[in-house]
Amino acid sequence: MHVHKYEKIWLTFGIGSLLVFLIVLGWGAFYQGTQPPSCLVTLNPQNVQAHNSFKEENLGVQQVGENEYVVNVLASAFNYDLGKDEEGAPVKKIRIPAGANVTFQATTSDVVHGFHLSGTNVNMMLEPGYISDYETTLDNPGEYTLVCNEYCGVGHHMMSAIVEVYE
Amino acid sequence: MSKQSALKQSSAHDVHEVEDIETHEEPNLKGTFAAVMFIGVFIVVSWIGVYALYMYR
Ligand SMILES: [Cu+2]
Repeated sequence: MHVHKYEKIWLTFGIGSLLVFLIVLGWGAFYQGTQPPSCLVTLNPQNVQAHNSFKEENLGVQQVGENEYVVNVLASAFNYDLGKDEEGAPVKKIRIPAGANVTFQATTSDVVHGFHLSGTNVNMMLEPGYISDYETTLDNPGEYTLVCNEYCGVGHHMMSAIVEVYE
Repeated sequence: MSKQSALKQSSAHDVHEVEDIETHEEPNLKGTFAAVMFIGVFIVVSWIGVYALYMYR
């Protein structure tokens, strides 16, 4: 079969890049263990408080180790519940030291919400009945907006909180 | 015309046809090549850009 010289070039380029992409994908999935943030734990969305992580007193930042934190967040239209402060007012801003190991654990008690810590790789979908979690290290100090990026209703644009990463 | 000469004629005709295919001019694929490579390079560059953004953050 006669194949044109140019065809040989673009076929090699196309098959070559396909192989590179597939190898990177497989390496991430099987060697690094990358998986969707909401693939392991399920819970009853009508009674999220039954799960220890989403009990009223466990919401917000918890220090679990020397440089290890867990952030439990319960999303609902149109709010991120990060627990209450000493005066009983809802927390709208949490603080995490730079370089610490942080695990965000979040779920929703009603519709699908987004969980995007803008400017970072923390970007999850929160689905009723599933716990989405993301383990990361926030190295750059600053204020990051936690924002809902899944349209959830009329108050969607007001659904946000602040995560401050301090030195 | 004898049967033999008719055969000769037809085989000569076949040879001519084969030659015609082999010396057939290649289609000009310069434009196609440029378009294909433009899209290919665009995809690869965007992919690397997103990957670098992911790794940097
Ligand atoms: Cu929303």
